[in-house]
Amino acid sequence: MLVLTRKVGEQVRIGDGVTVRVLGVRGGQVSLGFIAPKDVRLLREEVSVAIERENRKAALDDVDHVGRLASLWKEYGSTKK
Amino acid sequence: MEARRSSLAESCDVELAKAADAGTVRLESRRFGSAEVPLSAVFTLDPGLVGFPGAHRFVLLDRDAGSPFKWMVCLDQPELGFVVTDPVECVPGYVCPTERAAAVLSCEAEDVALFVLVTIPKEPKEIFLNLLAPIAVDLRSARGLQMVLEDGSLDPAHRVPLA
Repeated sequence: MLVLTRKVGEQVRIGDGVTVRVLGVRGGQVSLGFIAPKDVRLLREEVSVAIERENRKAALDDVDHVGRLASLWKEYGSTKK
Repeated sequence: MEARRSSLAESCDVELAKAADAGTVRLESRRFGSAEVPLSAVFTLDPGLVGFPGAHRFVLLDRDAGSPFKWMVCLDQPELGFVVTDPVECVPGYVCPTERAAAVLSCEAEDVALFVLVTIPKEPKEIFLNLLAPIAVDLRSARGLQMVLEDGSLDPAHRVPLA
């Protein structure tokens, strides 16, 4: 892992399009500002991990039970409304 | 008031095929079968689904007309597919972030199609909708993304009972 020491207001550039700036440090928390192209996704790690986990669960490994879903929905949807 | 937006059905292969005058691309999938997909029904997600780098071009297949559930199959990885649905239809009180999606996509709200991934357990007594990270597509440019809504109240696995 590359370790850099930066003061508040200083920046780090990553590749051609991404800039990270240290905005402030208070207590045990660091505020960072990011400038990045639109196609670069910036996420808190725990959010990224949660979404990746749900995406993987949603990926179909079997389509047999998908057909049942529509009929279950029809049944359930009609009683719900 | 919620902005007008495109419905999920309008984004599907059958509807788009009617408008197709360009070519087609062939989907060959063991899991999802084969189909000639009109190029006009193909959309690109960039950034794509979190955790699936390299999966960018998708198509929506309507395998059960009238069902709110569609298949979203990846043309780059033809064995990769998901069930998607319109959260407005499945989640009472859901407020669709259409304006936000339009801003992110730099497009008109009425061109936005927004849907969510559905996780279906083997015994589907319930399903789970990823409301935290919907997929938003600008139908005019056929470009979209998995949009992460930084909102603590949105659940990546929102439970919808089916029994």
